[in-house]
Amino acid sequence: MSRLFLLRKVCTVGALFLALAAAVVPASAATLVVAATKTPGGFDGDALKPNTQNVVVQVYEGLTKYGYKKNAKTGRMEVDPTKVLPHLATKWSVSPDGKVYTVELRKGVKSPFGNEFTSVDVVWGWEKSLAQKRTGAFIARVAGVVKVEVMDQYTVEFTLEAPSSIFLTALTLYTPSLYDSTEVKKHATPADPWALKWIDQNTAGFGAYHLQSLKSGEEAVFVANPNYWGVKPFYDRVVYKEVPNAGTRFTLIRTGQVQWTEELTLKQISELKKDKRVKVESDQGTGFASVRMNPTIKPFDNPLLRQAISYATDYKALNQAVFENLGSQARSIVSPIIPGADTSAWKYDTNLDKARQLLKQAGYVDGVDVTLEYSSIFWFEEQVAIQMKDQLGKAGIRVKLQKITDADMRSRTAPNKRDLPFFTFMDNPIVLDPVYALYLNAHSGGASNRNNYTNPEFDKLVNAARIEQNQKKRLELLRKAQQIHTTDATWVMTMYTGAHEAMTPCMTGYVWQPDYHERWRELSCK
Amino acid sequence: MLVRAAPWINVLRDFPSIAIGLAIVLGYAALALLAPWIAPMDPIRVHADAVLAPPSARFLLGTDGNGMDLFSRIIYGSRYAFGIAVPAVLLSIVIGLPVGLWAGYRGGWVDEILLRSMDLLRVFPSIILALTIVAATGQSIINVILVIGLLDAPIFARMVRAEILALRGGILIESARAIGNGTGRMLFVHVLPNSISGALTQISVRMAWAIRVSATLAFVGIGIQQPTPEWGAMIRQGAEYMVTGEWWVALFPGLALVTLVFGLNLLADGIQDWMGRRRTQR
Amino acid sequence: MLVQLFRFLLRRLAVSLPLVVAVVFVTFMLVRIGGGDPVALLAGPTASSEEHAAIRAGLGLDKSPIEQFGIYVVRAARGDLGQSWLSTKQVIDEIRNRAFVSLELLLWGVAIGAMVGIPAGARAAARRGSLYDQVVRAVSLAGFSIPTYWLGLIAILTFFYALDLAPAPMGRLNPTLITPDRITGSYLIDAVLRGQWEVARSALSHLVLPVLTVAVVACAPIMKHTRAIASEIVDSEFIRFARASGLGERCIRRMVLRNSMVPVLTFMGIEIVGLLGTSSLIELIFSWGGIGQWGLQSILNGDFAAIQGYVLFAALLSVVVFIVIDAANYVLEPRGRERM
Repeated sequence: MSRLFLLRKVCTVGALFLALAAAVVPASAATLVVAATKTPGGFDGDALKPNTQNVVVQVYEGLTKYGYKKNAKTGRMEVDPTKVLPHLATKWSVSPDGKVYTVELRKGVKSPFGNEFTSVDVVWGWEKSLAQKRTGAFIARVAGVVKVEVMDQYTVEFTLEAPSSIFLTALTLYTPSLYDSTEVKKHATPADPWALKWIDQNTAGFGAYHLQSLKSGEEAVFVANPNYWGVKPFYDRVVYKEVPNAGTRFTLIRTGQVQWTEELTLKQISELKKDKRVKVESDQGTGFASVRMNPTIKPFDNPLLRQAISYATDYKALNQAVFENLGSQARSIVSPIIPGADTSAWKYDTNLDKARQLLKQAGYVDGVDVTLEYSSIFWFEEQVAIQMKDQLGKAGIRVKLQKITDADMRSRTAPNKRDLPFFTFMDNPIVLDPVYALYLNAHSGGASNRNNYTNPEFDKLVNAARIEQNQKKRLELLRKAQQIHTTDATWVMTMYTGAHEAMTPCMTGYVWQPDYHERWRELSCK
Repeated sequence: MLVRAAPWINVLRDFPSIAIGLAIVLGYAALALLAPWIAPMDPIRVHADAVLAPPSARFLLGTDGNGMDLFSRIIYGSRYAFGIAVPAVLLSIVIGLPVGLWAGYRGGWVDEILLRSMDLLRVFPSIILALTIVAATGQSIINVILVIGLLDAPIFARMVRAEILALRGGILIESARAIGNGTGRMLFVHVLPNSISGALTQISVRMAWAIRVSATLAFVGIGIQQPTPEWGAMIRQGAEYMVTGEWWVALFPGLALVTLVFGLNLLADGIQDWMGRRRTQR
Repeated sequence: MLVQLFRFLLRRLAVSLPLVVAVVFVTFMLVRIGGGDPVALLAGPTASSEEHAAIRAGLGLDKSPIEQFGIYVVRAARGDLGQSWLSTKQVIDEIRNRAFVSLELLLWGVAIGAMVGIPAGARAAARRGSLYDQVVRAVSLAGFSIPTYWLGLIAILTFFYALDLAPAPMGRLNPTLITPDRITGSYLIDAVLRGQWEVARSALSHLVLPVLTVAVVACAPIMKHTRAIASEIVDSEFIRFARASGLGERCIRRMVLRNSMVPVLTFMGIEIVGLLGTSSLIELIFSWGGIGQWGLQSILNGDFAAIQGYVLFAALLSVVVFIVIDAANYVLEPRGRERM
């Protein structure tokens, strides 16, 4: 067989391949293709795995929802944290002592399995969450719910331990989830009474979408709930594709191969803002990149050292190098879009002299050696860590960088471990309430208090604010709590990265949600 | 015995692959040794105002995603390349040679274990093994060196063992023994020199392999990570920026890697040819 | 002869299986030494220490590593390879769903690499010293030196980003198309078998870049080794004698071919096994969804059972490849039988 002949054969085959490759099928109008980092690890809102939250909010909707308002300046629709509207509940009343809520459910709401939404489902969902003692139970605890009872087919009664300002907003959340308990109970076994195994890999909700198939590592396909009670969504099929590489996700949205993409770096976002083929919508968001210190681990038990680190950080340089100058300075653990945020105690504008002085006062005359650990959960972690190393070095704080796996980062910041002395992370409280934000991230009982901050004074203030009915008194308590936290300087507060979403240009209907996930049922493409 | 003036010049002339390969390898080695004097900037110095800057007069090959000078990082990267490859190959020789000698000479269970571990490595794609081990034991340079050294040791052991087995049946050892040479003398005087020809080639090949493996580990995210100026880690970061148009971040480290590995392979090829010619001329 | 072949294969299998067990054992111990702690992740942020202990016991992590290995082996013999704690799926199911996907990529790549590499190497051996030979040697050396993942990235950059010829590196099929019902697991073959031409075309176009990348990487060593093997044979006394005896060139060529088959096949076996690792990297870059990508991500995530399953699969596959090659050699090369 002559080599030339073979070569020609190969070339023809190759050319054939490429020619066929040029034929690309355009996206069907009713299918939304999302480029995501991973396929969802599971569908149980209480057992959060990578990207579970992204899809659970599409399937399981809440009893209430936030109202929207138009931003006078930008003309865009925004979430109004002060307005809680009916959703799967139609109306509610509260007892005079503020501890008992009677909630009436919407009638005629059906799941894809054809079963109607009743109070049994509500109670079943809450009891499941309480039994699992995880995220849903945490929400219940923060809201103060102690009992959930069936009153009649469409009425549920919630009993709280104390009046709560968060309760109604907590009902907007995806957990405790509202399951089609009739369907779910079919999959319960004596060993698994709550059918957790089934719930983890299947969906049975009353929301707009339903899981059709899952190929772990490739794609998850959702279809519109044929029995959905609300406005029929534009997209009747959503393909949630796993595209692990950010560069590929970037290219896919740019070339119109997908209509929505997740988790792009700010650099890519700022590129896309200039690209006519893509629409980018930006909001402030509630999450900022933070570098946290564990005050129970040396040498971070010394408040002077902690403050020195905050003073030594060059925020402008960070913004320029990592955040494309698009970030805004964070000055409190509570985001400025949440009413009640207080920034008065933040005075850590970059001041290397002050940092060195504090360091000496703390007893570190020759500087100090610390280790900063980071992962790749958030795109900015490595870049912020590298910049910090450089900046803190100028003040005599010698930083050794240590990369750890995502799994390690999550497990070591979980409540039963919390042994990371110095690390990067970002949290965004999904309830737009200052008490929730403070409780979640800094209260000794907070589920996301990753750096093990324990200040009894702070706890007392937050506990009091939780049950305080008087708005003025409440704000005062919260202000004091934030001041304490900021002065304790266990968090280096850098930039709000903003919430930026990249989508196909014809897409409308996107409104930023506190959980940072778009709602597929609201999206449409003209 | 004829004395030829500078015989090695003839070798270089006759075998251009050795000449070119050696030039490349020595060039990189020079970069590695003289890095602090050659590199224009500190490789981990951050230039916050020049993140992802394209190649220019100030930054010859541009800057990466953290604002570090790519040119300096690539020069220092050769330190890591050699710093891993040389100890790793030395380790595999230090382990492999005595084991191979023992196995070839004495046989027995050492021989069995050696054969079995060779089979084990053949049974398995080594890169996956390297990935698993380094991921499990911790991502440090020492671990990477140890793993590569251990995985390559059987190759050298097998080489030496084959040499011994070949000689054992031959006249050389019989006559040497007849003259009264002891075991040690035989090993050192007869076995080792004959193994060197094969060893030289293998050293070059194994070095190329070590550099590739450590870069692959860094690329996947195990092993050396930022801000250490290792070529694989740089390509990993550069992969992100390929599609936003900052092509230099992944291209230049990749080219550096390809060139050095190519040089080592070329050198190995050339040596093999040279040894082949020497063998037929003997 | 068949009986002898069978006995030979059985012998090889008996020798290889302990090696597989050894490989899995080593991996097993390694992930337990270094691996992350899955318990905290599975339990979630609000769990108590009793729950942690319960989960630990449930996963069997409270026993000694040796004991755990014993349990693992017993279960594996029954086909239960444990559960991936990241996806909560059975490892055996994950492997089953993805194995053919990777094999498709690997086999196509090796086939094309061999189709180009073997004839090129053989020709170079016949024309040693010529320009053709120099080019082949240079090309194969270059192929040896290029990191696979870098080549893949450059291919994506060139053909997808710059030239817009290839489809997005996002899996095996255009996302809006429905995947064909499974017959073999290969989208291309299944779509063709069912007459779904749109789907077949999309599957084919998605195969191009990754397969070509694998082919290029596979081609280099194949070219080099074929050339080396063929050279040795052409130089051998046996061929020289044949030529001296006046046998025609075509006859000579056939003899060279016949004698090269065994070493070339053996070498191909080693190649395919080595490519298992390389193609995993390519799967990662192209989001291929095969076992390689899954395995790599499991390693990065410290997912014990998944890592072990991946390693076991790779080891078993290697053993199968080698046994097949050995069997082929046994049949083709009667002279080697005593040695085996």
